Amino acid sequence: MSTASAENVAAALTRVRHAGVALRARSRAQILDSLAQVLDRWRDPTSKARLSLDLALPEATGFSREVVRAGLAHALEGWTGDALRAVVQRELGKSAGVGEDECTFAGGFETTSVLLAGALPSPTLLAILAPLAVGSPVLVRTSSSDPVTARVVAASIAEVDPGLGACVEVVRFPAGDLAALDALLSADCVVASGSDATIGAIAARIRPGRRLVAYGHRASVAVVGPLALTPSALPETCQRLALDVALWDQLGCLSPLAVYTVAADRSAGGDLAAALASALAEAELRLPRGRIAISAGAAFARARAEAEVRAAAGRSVAVYGSPRDPWCVVSEDSPEPREAPLYRFVRIHPVADLAALSSELGPLAPSLAAVAVSGFGTDSRSAAQRLADLGASRVCAPGRMQAPPLGWHHDGQGILTPLCRFSDLELD
Amino acid sequence: MSNSARAALDAKVLAWMREPASIAWPQEEERFDRLARELFAFQFERCAPYGRFCARRGRTPATVQSWRDVPPVPSGAFKELALRSFAPEATVHVFRTSGTSATRRGQLYLDTLALYEASVLPSFVVHVLPELVRGSLFGQSASRPRLRVLAPAPLEAPDSSLSHMFGVLLRELASKGAIGPSGFDVAGGELRFEGWLSALEDAMAHDAPLVLCGTAFAFVHALDELARRGARLALPAGSRVMETGGFKGRARELSREALYALIEERLSIAPARVVNQYGMTELASQFHDSVLRFPGAPRRKLAPPWARVRLVDPATGDEALPGEVGVIVIHDLGNTGSVCAVETADLGRSIGDGFEVIGREPGAEARGCSLAADEMLTGLGPA
Repeated sequence: MSTASAENVAAALTRVRHAGVALRARSRAQILDSLAQVLDRWRDPTSKARLSLDLALPEATGFSREVVRAGLAHALEGWTGDALRAVVQRELGKSAGVGEDECTFAGGFETTSVLLAGALPSPTLLAILAPLAVGSPVLVRTSSSDPVTARVVAASIAEVDPGLGACVEVVRFPAGDLAALDALLSADCVVASGSDATIGAIAARIRPGRRLVAYGHRASVAVVGPLALTPSALPETCQRLALDVALWDQLGCLSPLAVYTVAADRSAGGDLAAALASALAEAELRLPRGRIAISAGAAFARARAEAEVRAAAGRSVAVYGSPRDPWCVVSEDSPEPREAPLYRFVRIHPVADLAALSSELGPLAPSLAAVAVSGFGTDSRSAAQRLADLGASRVCAPGRMQAPPLGWHHDGQGILTPLCRFSDLELD
Repeated sequence: MSNSARAALDAKVLAWMREPASIAWPQEEERFDRLARELFAFQFERCAPYGRFCARRGRTPATVQSWRDVPPVPSGAFKELALRSFAPEATVHVFRTSGTSATRRGQLYLDTLALYEASVLPSFVVHVLPELVRGSLFGQSASRPRLRVLAPAPLEAPDSSLSHMFGVLLRELASKGAIGPSGFDVAGGELRFEGWLSALEDAMAHDAPLVLCGTAFAFVHALDELARRGARLALPAGSRVMETGGFKGRARELSREALYALIEERLSIAPARVVNQYGMTELASQFHDSVLRFPGAPRRKLAPPWARVRLVDPATGDEALPGEVGVIVIHDLGNTGSVCAVETADLGRSIGDGFEVIGREPGAEARGCSLAADEMLTGLGPA
């Protein structure tokens, strides 16, 4: 795909604006039927879209082919057409246009532009389908680290429904091309993902009256209670955690950066660290880690060596994995947060109880995405409630972190409602 | 090993540092290797955390066959613990890395300043004032150069190794009669611009070459003020700049090229006369650009004979191929009291007999949506 100029971007926005006229004339049920077909095709590992990603994504993003395959299979597991209809019903209810007597009308904007970030394909799929589901055509700017997925999504929509396909345009331009960016930001609704700095810069450039839907960078953790730390439960707990870590090489916002062991016995962390190290070594055989930039590799090696020094200084810190292993587990002696080098580097922190955990996670709360929770038995619900109160937008079981439901409240928001204009009709 | 072993090591390294420096400055590989292995054996035994760290990696005095085998500690380790090869009560000075209350500061404990101070002058002279080694004039001028420092004086910043270094330079060069009226131009945490400017104008009036030293961000402040006043100074021939440090945490960042262009525009000092110094609080020795020592040759950083630089592939721990990017690892015989091999947080690339620093490129966050490590820790308050 060639680089788009500001004029190219503006022209693409005009094209989708025109295509949107026909889109809005269609019933939402008809649109949903087509999008449901797209999702159902994507769930098929032999579909054209999936085979395209199998081929192109590893080279483009650096993820290994095995991680791309397993990551997509995992992520799309519950992303059925019916799940999409359920989300529409849940978020928009009667306002979705199902009934005749609704008093609230929800409609997408005349145009929506989407600025993608990162290299994980499933958020790209949803970012493009969601505006269409509410009747808005989409102009997408690909992320620099994944120029592939958005094009594959657009092609698969066009294949199922050419009319709907005309409502999606994909452009690519360099980060420094502010004229092209401004052309993109002139859409009626802008969806942006990225760091706080990126979101802030975009917000500053959006004209008043435009809608900005922002998704920031987030962090996830796992919390393991006493029942998941018993010798019989530990292997399965760690296999599940290893899967959460290995998929997308720990780079997604749903990847756990650290595991907190909630137990009176502080040695529980060491046992879990050893078992998780074994599980990560096994995971490496099935899901090898992908490319790693030298700067990231240096940060990984440095964090590992620093942990070794702390261990050598007599602190109760243990490092698992050799310097050449593409993973590392560090059993820390305190809950104090430390640098997270990513790329399958997991720290295990001990905490005495759930109250202490809340206190330790407090500073992270504004950035908390998902928390995997296991091993609390009858206290599971109260543990989950505590984490939800802290700000986690998703609490799930280990092994499920990379498989969010289609309707997951990403950043605590709905999938569709932020993309809609609501009108309350109060007629006699 | 006894304290006398340490004293003997210090004496050997000091003797090397005190030998006359030259433009050629032979690296003396065999001498370095012998001393590095002696020093490793000493520190393996006397710095217990380091000894255990090395043993875990299978490196002991029995297995280390070359200085290249000596395991480096990551520079971050100096933030975690006191890496010293002497009894705590023997500490005479502590240098600390810069930092805020929200970050840990690295600390270098010293039981003597002798090696630290002895290493400063020869490196500086060879790379910044090579005329003193060559016995030639500074440009066309017969006047002694004057040294102005855009950094706080040691009394104001006693834990700053940079201030200490500048203090030693001023003291030693003045005692040898090598420089004219010189001094510090940062006080109370602020650039004393008027004083700095009048010192420059006085040097111009006497046709005395200036050696302007300081941190990169202090230069930016001074140059910004010159620009605000619309001032351009034609400093005497032979003038030069030595800048050091980066811009992390500063309100304004400039590329090195942009900084050098500003220096040329406002001070009439060409980039070929600007020397970047690469140093760290955790190390005794410094590394300087080659531009004044070897004019016309490619710019690269050079080490004094008692220090070595390796560029290491982080994935394998092996040395990077010539010209390939690697993590900068420094072996510094001046670090007798702590640990002599330090892995920096910087990336670099070899250039002939030297190296260039590439810096710390962002990496991990580029491919994912996970919160970058630094960002996550920023909000967490004092560690």
